[in-house]
Amino acid sequence: MALVEAHHLTKTFRRPDKAPGLRGSLTHLVRRRFTTVRAVDRVDLSIEAGEAVAYVGPNGAGKSTTIKLLTGIVEPSSGRVRVAGRDPHRERTANARQIGVLFGQRTQLWWDLPVRESLALLRDMYDVPAATYRERLARFDAVLALDEIMPVVARRLSLGQRMRADLACALIHGPRVVYLDEPTIGLDIAVKDRVRQFLRELRADGTTLMLTTHDLGDIEDTCDRIVIIDHGRVIYDGTLEQVKDTYARQRNVHLQLAGDVALPDLAARFPAAAVHAGPNPGEFTVAFDKAALTVGQILAGVIPLAEVVEVRIDEPAIEDVIRKVYAGELILSPAPTPS
Amino acid sequence: MRLVRVYRRSLGAHLRAVLEYQSDFWLLVTAGIVTQSLGFIFLSAVFARVPTLNGWRFEETVLIYALAGLAQAAVPLFADGAWLLGSLVHTGELDYRLVRPYPPVLQVTSHQIGFSGAGDAVGAGVLLVWALSRVEVHWTPVKVLLGLLILLGAVVIRIAITVATNAIAFWIPSPNPMFASAVFQIGELARYPLTIYGFGLRVVLTGLLPFAFTGFLPAAWLLDEGGAAWLGLATPVVAVLCALAAYAVFQRGLRRYESAGH
Amino acid sequence: MSVKAYARLAGTTVRATFAHRISIGLGTIGVIFQLVAMVALWTALLADGTRIGGYSLPEMKGYLLVGFATGIVGRGLGEHVMAERIRSGAVALDLVKPLDYQKMRFAEVLGGLVIELAVIVVVGAAFVALAGPVQAPVRPDLLLLSLVAVVPIKFLIIYLSTMLCFWTQNYHGLAWTRTALTQLLSGALVPLALLPGWLQTTAAVLPFAAITSTPALIYTGKATGTGALLLIGYQFLWAAGLWFLARLAWRTAVRQLTVHGG
Repeated sequence: MALVEAHHLTKTFRRPDKAPGLRGSLTHLVRRRFTTVRAVDRVDLSIEAGEAVAYVGPNGAGKSTTIKLLTGIVEPSSGRVRVAGRDPHRERTANARQIGVLFGQRTQLWWDLPVRESLALLRDMYDVPAATYRERLARFDAVLALDEIMPVVARRLSLGQRMRADLACALIHGPRVVYLDEPTIGLDIAVKDRVRQFLRELRADGTTLMLTTHDLGDIEDTCDRIVIIDHGRVIYDGTLEQVKDTYARQRNVHLQLAGDVALPDLAARFPAAAVHAGPNPGEFTVAFDKAALTVGQILAGVIPLAEVVEVRIDEPAIEDVIRKVYAGELILSPAPTPS
Repeated sequence: MRLVRVYRRSLGAHLRAVLEYQSDFWLLVTAGIVTQSLGFIFLSAVFARVPTLNGWRFEETVLIYALAGLAQAAVPLFADGAWLLGSLVHTGELDYRLVRPYPPVLQVTSHQIGFSGAGDAVGAGVLLVWALSRVEVHWTPVKVLLGLLILLGAVVIRIAITVATNAIAFWIPSPNPMFASAVFQIGELARYPLTIYGFGLRVVLTGLLPFAFTGFLPAAWLLDEGGAAWLGLATPVVAVLCALAAYAVFQRGLRRYESAGH
Repeated sequence: MSVKAYARLAGTTVRATFAHRISIGLGTIGVIFQLVAMVALWTALLADGTRIGGYSLPEMKGYLLVGFATGIVGRGLGEHVMAERIRSGAVALDLVKPLDYQKMRFAEVLGGLVIELAVIVVVGAAFVALAGPVQAPVRPDLLLLSLVAVVPIKFLIIYLSTMLCFWTQNYHGLAWTRTALTQLLSGALVPLALLPGWLQTTAAVLPFAAITSTPALIYTGKATGTGALLLIGYQFLWAAGLWFLARLAWRTAVRQLTVHGG
């Protein structure tokens, strides 16, 4: 059985369905109507130990709600979820010991206390042995530069400092599974780098990660698997490479050629591709499907025509795929989930 | 026990944080003392006009008032965080507390410390000493031990009622503890001889919201007065029941918890 | 800000109060309980047609009814919302807007008044129907004038006490003391005439008496003619005085805001 297992996980909310204004409120008194919102709709998820999964989707897709279901904060309306064999909602205490959680938009620091005290309180709650605690803090300090913020009261921390502290809080007890909800939101690039480095180290330790984020840099840097969710449903579940290979197959090769080459001649060489001329003489772009042509083939086709001065190849970014999914341009068929 | 140790550390951390605001501390302590004194003034004004209240003398009535006040003082001192439950639920701040291996209800109650409780304790304590010196109690070592046990029971009952009434926030979302405040105010009524109230009110204050066990019944037992004196002895049992009920309400509420947006 | 804008603000409060009706309703139960308990207490004291301090039972019931009405006024959402805004620092946003903070809060309280009046009427009617003989108001016209004056005074006292949030993190402890003080010194618990001399003198120089004692005295006919008019004049004087005191306190408190920073 996988470390994190969700089967047909569903969460519905009842929202009062009433017109705006006082009349609406009064009417609602008499005729109570509710709409049912399916925030999470029959989600199946299976995460093995050591994996790093990116959980992606537009705002309101159900990402945070899924995390809350997986961590036991919210009770599922139907379906089941098990983390290391335990139901996180019903076996709250046992589950809590093996997970770490970070909500990027909220802090778990005690507002009026210095960071050091918050960490000490958590140490007590989690029963972390003193030596382990010190050792971990030292490790965290190396990447997150904790020492400089330890004596600072939480209220006075900047966003970047707060996030670093919250990361330490989430991991002070060495959990097996870590859920991160928007861990880099609002951070500047320097802090983002630190956070990503921290996550890489976690992965190296074998910690299982689940990450929701809008920052695609986080995904490319940290995760090897991506699950895309929209309107509460999983619409894609596979490795990053698979996503790119399946849905981001377009490559662009930018060529700078010496000599006189006419566009139609070049284009005739690659009937399967789209060839465009660049603004300057000798500049051409070949847009092709990776499955149909390789870069080698393109170069082999060009060299007899003219000397290749420069070559530049555009790699597909996950961004392009996600953007298309968000815009509804791409209806993905779920890849078979590895089980 | 680890449970207690962590609780103490949590309260202690807040204590230190709040002591930073010195004016805050003295303001609240004074407030507590003033509140208790006002009750005493009210009683003396009433008893200046009448010799007894349903057979209860001035000093005996003050005894009831002081016992209830002492029990009440424990709530802000040890479980003040309960009043913030509505706000925590409303903003979704409860989330983090649900993923730590420590009972969420205890995390909530230890979230804040209210120094008015110290003032309440001082004020009520003074009144208690004053009253005890003027009433007839047949003191024995057993009586002292039982008395302390009953006082502890009264404290637990008050905390349990505070937690349970604040837990209504899980069902009726509101950032303000209006219902809990109202019940708290009702509890103030139980600081007087219950015999003055009609049967209905007496049943409510004994069976439904057992405030009677936080002042009147313990006092009645102490003074061996009235037919219901033996009920005072049941206070510790009622306390256990109240604690269990409050815990159950809170747990049931957690199942309904929907968190908040992001 | 124009009168229309304030009126709109008041309207928003009516809607907000309505939206929180369950929560507020439950809070009102506390005040109703208080009324019931006070009537029980006085019924015990005034059994067999005795009079205390010149009050008979029907007169006392009328007195307590006035106490109930003035207790309900201004109790709505306003207080906790105000306190929370200051506590959380959100009030900083209010300072930046080109609006009069005090007038805005008053407009909100007036909005809440709409629903409070409905509650008073309903409960009052039930009370008269169920509580046995209740004296009718002696001069309804003077009574109405007096009650009108109560609204700004009540608002200002609550408003001033919320400003304590600039100095303390723990509001409900202070709120409770303010309630206790108000209840005693306004005459809601006992007619002021029954309090010891030194306390009567104290109450005479404080605004609390203008909240309950004055309208209650007018209701029961203990204050008549020019005496009543003088008391009403004194009420309006307090209303004006407190309004300006609040403005002064606001300026001082705002300077304190910079200390909290963050």
